[in-house]
Amino acid sequence: MIAHPVPPVRTYVAVWIALIALLLVTLGSAFVPLGALNPAINFAIATAKALLVTWFFMHLRSGHAMLRITAAAGFFWLAILIGLSMTDFAVRY
Amino acid sequence: MTSSVIVARQFDDSDQQRQAADLGIWVFLASEILFFGVLFLAYTVTRLHHPEAFATASRQTDVALGSINTGVLLTSSLTMALAVRATKLGVRRAAIVFLCATAMLGLVFVAIKGTEYRHDYVAGLVPGLRFSFAGPHAGGVELFFGLYFLMTGVHVLHMLVGLGVVGTLAMRAARKAFTPEYFTPVELGGLYWHLVDIVWIFLYPLLYLVSRT
Amino acid sequence: MHPRGRFDERVLDRRVHAMSTASVPLRSNYLEAGFSLWSWLSSVDHKRIAVLYAISITLFFFAGGAAATLIRLELVTPAGDLVSAETYNKLFTMHGVIMVWFFLIPSIPSTFGNFLLPLMIGARDLAFPRLNLASWYLYVLGGLFTVGALVAGGVDTGWTFYTPFSTMFSNTHVIAAVTGVFVVGFSSILTGVNFIVTIHRMRAPGMTWFRLPLFVWAMYATSIIFVLATPVLAMTLFLIAIERFFGVGVFDPALGGDPLLFQHLFWFYSHPAVYVMILPAMGVASEIITCFSRKSIFAYRSMAFAVLAIAIIGFVVWGHHMFVSGQSIYAGMVFSILTFLVAIPSAIKVFNWTATLYKGSIRFDAPMLYALGFVGLFTVGGMTGLFLASLALDVHLHDTYFVIAHFHYIMVGGAVMAFLGAVHFWWPKITGRLYSDWWARAAAIVVFVGFNLTFFPQFLLGYLGMPRRYHAYPPEFAVLNVLSSAGAAVLAIGYLLPLVYLAWSLRYGARAGPNPWDAKGLEWLTASPPPVENFTTIPVVTEPPYAYGEAERVHD
Repeated sequence: MIAHPVPPVRTYVAVWIALIALLLVTLGSAFVPLGALNPAINFAIATAKALLVTWFFMHLRSGHAMLRITAAAGFFWLAILIGLSMTDFAVRY
Repeated sequence: MTSSVIVARQFDDSDQQRQAADLGIWVFLASEILFFGVLFLAYTVTRLHHPEAFATASRQTDVALGSINTGVLLTSSLTMALAVRATKLGVRRAAIVFLCATAMLGLVFVAIKGTEYRHDYVAGLVPGLRFSFAGPHAGGVELFFGLYFLMTGVHVLHMLVGLGVVGTLAMRAARKAFTPEYFTPVELGGLYWHLVDIVWIFLYPLLYLVSRT
Repeated sequence: MHPRGRFDERVLDRRVHAMSTASVPLRSNYLEAGFSLWSWLSSVDHKRIAVLYAISITLFFFAGGAAATLIRLELVTPAGDLVSAETYNKLFTMHGVIMVWFFLIPSIPSTFGNFLLPLMIGARDLAFPRLNLASWYLYVLGGLFTVGALVAGGVDTGWTFYTPFSTMFSNTHVIAAVTGVFVVGFSSILTGVNFIVTIHRMRAPGMTWFRLPLFVWAMYATSIIFVLATPVLAMTLFLIAIERFFGVGVFDPALGGDPLLFQHLFWFYSHPAVYVMILPAMGVASEIITCFSRKSIFAYRSMAFAVLAIAIIGFVVWGHHMFVSGQSIYAGMVFSILTFLVAIPSAIKVFNWTATLYKGSIRFDAPMLYALGFVGLFTVGGMTGLFLASLALDVHLHDTYFVIAHFHYIMVGGAVMAFLGAVHFWWPKITGRLYSDWWARAAAIVVFVGFNLTFFPQFLLGYLGMPRRYHAYPPEFAVLNVLSSAGAAVLAIGYLLPLVYLAWSLRYGARAGPNPWDAKGLEWLTASPPPVENFTTIPVVTEPPYAYGEAERVHD
């Protein structure tokens, strides 16, 4: 008896293809001069990759809600650490 | 129904045991996010303070090897996820193959990283050991590389632990330790492996792609 | 989804069936399940691990107290005549390092949390018993590193390890000390993981979230802090070691780094850490005050939400330690406002304890004396925190004895008194013995008097401008310092007394029944000391917590 439905192989492979595609986009865009947009694009793509890995590879999609809350809490608290510190650093530098 | 699963005495049944393990590993992963997060703050603050230095320094990294390594890790996450899937379905041989593939890819990552480290040492880019960069913004470049070795170093330590975990899982799988009812260690090992991959997903652009134009 | 808390008949049937067919007879209690040293050092029983922790933290408490004794002896006279300035720096550093990380932070969670959490929720053990034992070994290992640093000559950076002094100029054993704290941090993290999973997944049938004792809520909130704050400390300490060893320079202004980066990282952990110290104490207070007023807690849900609010808001106030450090004034304003906010849930709790006492049938047993002392002294400490939260006042008060008095009122007047209250409340449950009422109450009063005599003068000293961390001071501060040192002597007696009468009770005290205080709570349903498996049958919960009824109050 399996507790959760097991996704087919093609789901995992599709995610992998998306990850590699995103890797190529982030690498490629780095050679295009877009000013402040470059780091923003890189960060957005990295976030997208992380979401794909957590949602599909780490089974957050099918897991219990508490697991999603825990994962979100980790990233949210990191955002507090960096964001609130910026009230000092972004102003002083 | 649960005949093959040993339930520890503090649990009512295997369901509770598995759910406890799942929640436990995710709580631990949340702590790892904060653990690495310190380095991301240090990086953010230092880069904010030394933008040109970070641009100069990042160009000294090997973007080809870094990008290949990123591809290697992303692929290892695929093989790890497939290993967990195979274990859940009871396809033992496939599970062992995928676990070994994950370990191989992990070893490739570490080998490439080692190559980069060696190049950096020869080029005199290792603060505290051998640093001889003499161009503009040398101070900031040294800070970048200090953070570079710190961040990739802590990451590679986690990779080595991950290799140990995956290797152990492969051996246990070969000894028929896992069934469709009992696959928790594989699931937990997989989650750890994916987290280490996610850390690298963020490290990669910060270290290799700061200024390639 | 495996149902937790709600009364699930299938689960109950399975358990009852398991009980009736159990082939292994229960041993009489957990203390008698093996007498060898190895049986203690290898036990994964949460109750035994709690006792291991209790012994270790007591040893560290007196080590930190020894450092405090020398500090107060030096400060009896204005001249720096007992020890050199360098030695004095080492004394207050070791006092802080030991008391914060090896006593206060583990104190209630690792002893009472470990012992009581499974009992209070009706479980057989924590979710991960081996992880629990591992956490104790990490504590001991960390302690050995720190004691090693001490024996090798000490550390003089202050418990806060501020850069660039700790990374570049101190000639003491900084790396050994930070390694010790790094290791003990993982003890906290493992404990936090264990508690969170246990509370989520292992509650007895009928034990819904809002039937949990407030002590359990406090353990939950504390564990959130353990898991999310401690890793930041760990990496920050690692950065100190790296900077000291390799000279990387992220904290060194001469190399382009920023010493304030260290302070932000350090206080991101260390402020929530003080809530790790006080939240469990608040949980203890709720358990004791309800029992000894024979009344349910006033506004239970607000008490539960308040501990969560304190834990969460506590994460966004850390900059109030850095008002005069050179951080941007904008950051100062943001952190000041947020700091005022965090006082609100704490104040709600104080009002609610008071409302619980109102029209209660109050008994002044030793645990209650400690709990009442806790509420009063915590309130004083908390209110003086408001002074420090104000940017303008903090310019005058920062790094003075006012700050020292503020946090000692909370950590000693608050947390330590609650710890002693917990010791006196649950001693019969843990050891199966009763102690002398009279001596316990006398000791509580001695502690209260000694504490106030030690620390109240320090508010005045700070306001008058005496800076902290100085071994010599101007003569006009002498009288207040003498009073403070005299108080410390009284306080020391108060702390030593329990060692005597509690030890005496282990051998000669009357045996305790399951519920000597007639308290509510699942831990009081089982024998004193409890059997290894905690309960002969897992209880089913049908009533709210603190169900001290009307009838009781009428009969007194």
